[in-house]
Amino acid sequence: MRGNVTTGRSFRLGPAKASDRAPGRGRRVATAVVLFTILWLTPWCSRAALSTAAFELANKLYEEGKFAEAAAAYEKLGQSGQTAAALSFNLGNAHFKSGQIGRAIAAYRQAERLTPRDPDLRANLQFARNQIQGPTLAPSRWHRWLGRLTLNEWTLLAAGALWLWLLLLAFLQWRPALKPALRFYVLGLAILVVILAACAGAALRQARFTRTAIVTARDAVVRFGPLAESPAAFTAHDGAELRVLDQKDDWLQVSAGPRRTGWLRRDQAVVAGG
Amino acid sequence: MRRLSSWITVNPRSRSRHRLRPAFALLTALLWLAPSTLGAASFTATLDRESVTVGESATLTLRYDGGQPKTTPSPPTIPNLQVSGGGTSQSITVINGQFSASISQTFLLTPTQPGDFAIPALTVEIGGQVLSSQPLKLTAVKAPTSAADGAGDKLAFFKLFVPKKEVYVGEILSVEFQVYVRDGLANGEDILQGFDQFSGCPVKAEGVSIIKTAHAQRRRARLGNASYVVATLVTSLSPIKTGPITLGSMDVPLTLQIPLPNQRRRDPFDPFGMFQRMQVEERRVSLSAEPEILKALPLPRENIPATFNGAVGNFTMTVTAGPTNVAAGDPVTVKVALSGRGAFDSLALPEQNAWRDFKTYPPTTKVDTTDPLGLQGTKTFEQVVVPQSPDIKALPPVSFSFFDPDQKSYRTLTQPAIPLVVRPGGAAPAPVVAATTRAAQDNAPPAQDIVHIKPRLGAVAQIAPPLVLRPWFLALQAVPVLAWLSAVLWRRRAEMLANNPRLRRRRQVAQNIRQGLDELRQSAADNKSEAFFATLVRLLQEQIGERLDLPASAITDAVIEEHLRPRGVPETTLAPLQELFQTCNLARYAPIRTSQELAAIIPKLEAVLRDLREMKL
Repeated sequence: MRGNVTTGRSFRLGPAKASDRAPGRGRRVATAVVLFTILWLTPWCSRAALSTAAFELANKLYEEGKFAEAAAAYEKLGQSGQTAAALSFNLGNAHFKSGQIGRAIAAYRQAERLTPRDPDLRANLQFARNQIQGPTLAPSRWHRWLGRLTLNEWTLLAAGALWLWLLLLAFLQWRPALKPALRFYVLGLAILVVILAACAGAALRQARFTRTAIVTARDAVVRFGPLAESPAAFTAHDGAELRVLDQKDDWLQVSAGPRRTGWLRRDQAVVAGG
Repeated sequence: MRRLSSWITVNPRSRSRHRLRPAFALLTALLWLAPSTLGAASFTATLDRESVTVGESATLTLRYDGGQPKTTPSPPTIPNLQVSGGGTSQSITVINGQFSASISQTFLLTPTQPGDFAIPALTVEIGGQVLSSQPLKLTAVKAPTSAADGAGDKLAFFKLFVPKKEVYVGEILSVEFQVYVRDGLANGEDILQGFDQFSGCPVKAEGVSIIKTAHAQRRRARLGNASYVVATLVTSLSPIKTGPITLGSMDVPLTLQIPLPNQRRRDPFDPFGMFQRMQVEERRVSLSAEPEILKALPLPRENIPATFNGAVGNFTMTVTAGPTNVAAGDPVTVKVALSGRGAFDSLALPEQNAWRDFKTYPPTTKVDTTDPLGLQGTKTFEQVVVPQSPDIKALPPVSFSFFDPDQKSYRTLTQPAIPLVVRPGGAAPAPVVAATTRAAQDNAPPAQDIVHIKPRLGAVAQIAPPLVLRPWFLALQAVPVLAWLSAVLWRRRAEMLANNPRLRRRRQVAQNIRQGLDELRQSAADNKSEAFFATLVRLLQEQIGERLDLPASAITDAVIEEHLRPRGVPETTLAPLQELFQTCNLARYAPIRTSQELAAIIPKLEAVLRDLREMKL
């Protein structure tokens, strides 16, 4: 370990002595670590700089009223493997201003996964949903409450509670005399773990296993069967959010309520979640 | 939500008239005394069917909402159309303290000759408002002769009634599915009630979009010498492809119960036949209507208006806008109401290219239908437009085009431009509210536009699966579990040792011997003879004492003869043990030895200690 420490003596000028060998090796190691760190961070920094420049360029297009071009620029930025709440938010705004409510809602929902408590985002999402005509699935009060935290936040809360509970149990094995005094804390933490784990599970189910089709066509005819010749069941309009029940070829089986189920062409909607 | 609803039907021939009179008086009083609490007045006229055969009756319903009419109108006298009064019903609904009341008046219209009968718009005054209904059309077709289809010979049969054989794609058509049940059938009423409860679609067809199905009123019909009761289901449909379309019906298996003649045999114990069951002959039949061929015509390709977006039907349009005196950037709400007959679900407002100087938002819509099939009514589009410049002087004309199947041509409705006064937009910034209460937020006016874009990118993250699906995160959760399990095992071990003193001593002795052997090697290396042999004796005492469960201080070389040999310890162990004790005794007198000699003793000691440990005493 001594060799890894860089001391003032290692910078001394003059011929190296036998006793200087260890600090010299440390200096080389330190240099290698610094170089490695720089090489590792460089692509990240340059990518972030690229993203910022492209983002500001897209913002400029938006301010000039070129909403469709701005939306394309934001979408291209989002294909770089990076994501940001502001990026999805602005993409939603650009789509909304282009008159594409469905795509706007899909983008807002994407941003909601990152910053669910952003008041601007909540206002715009609600405003966009207010524009929807015809059948659509409004999020229930439970889903709205669950959506106040991201899936990762629910996961960390549940994991934190689990850690606390198990470490408290381990501590009580070490100090069993404290068991009576801490009994209620153990019970309370256990209940908290169960509740938070259930919430995390529900959030996971909502985010990964519940698929929602957001209609992007102006008027999408939902049919009784997955065929263009099937009779129309109802018409869903741009922005309508429908639960996806099944999929067959290029058709999605969707539901807008207990008695509103049918098949929607895949190219008339974007699918969120799952 | 608290809901209180009541329906009372007033019929001049009703026997319960006296019982209903107080309720009617109460309803009338509510209608008269609480007009301010009622909703906006409206007046609608609807027909339960659009087509009948000559001699059949269609029901005309006049409905007054939101107040009582000053005078009730009647349909005008129309040649070859008999009009007879039906009844009147009133209803009051209270939802969350809000009254809504309606009065319905029905008339029976019976054509005596085939043809189209136009029922003009009726006018009524409700609460000072003069309201008009929409004009209606009733088509009467010639009744088929019973000899032609032999219907009079049948006990029950189905029939599809298609008012017209040629329709345009997208045009709405009402098809009737009629259930004829001859009088005298023992289970005729049961069959008809079964159809009254049927909620599906009786018409089977490909290439059409089924819109809605509703029940019409039962009626009586005479075919040949037989009298029938007819139940009717009306289905509205719209062709979605051109060419011939076959309309079929559902296939229903029925059991018809035909009363047997001369069934009353005199029973001496039941002279009046009160306990005698009707004897019937059961006949199982499977009924379906004769299919009808419909020809679906394409919409004309000539003279298609620029604003045509697929609407087919017959509509009128009214446009209102307000406020008309605004600053640039302020919203103006434009209401476009399309009234008439057509498929309202798919009715959309065409894009208004003339509104390019306005920022427009997607419209919200509301549909109010006046008939059970939802084909007649009004669809209202409410659109917010924002004038961008003070140079704008008017809201451009609003145009809407549709194809009229009756006139077989496209029609375009255009409302004139609405004058606007647009002032320059105010530059003063909106006042900043330091703090707002929850109530203030709740009462805040609805937002007029979305929140502007974010200027900064903020935190950028790689797109990655959630934590709960990452293996390293799941593996990390094993740490507290392992910590807890380790604590449990440690606790168990501590308790086991506390409850077993011999085991505790054995482990303690084993630890002492490991340390003692190290001390021996150190003493041998340092050539400390005295310390070496003292440690050697101590180790022998501790190991033998532990094995014999005796105090270590009580162990001497005499223990060999007193305890070990009687317990069957082999000579191969006893001899080196004896030798070690003797070496220790000799060392007291000749303590100085070399390091090599001392080190040579250690393996012997280790062998003896190992034998003693493995021995069962």
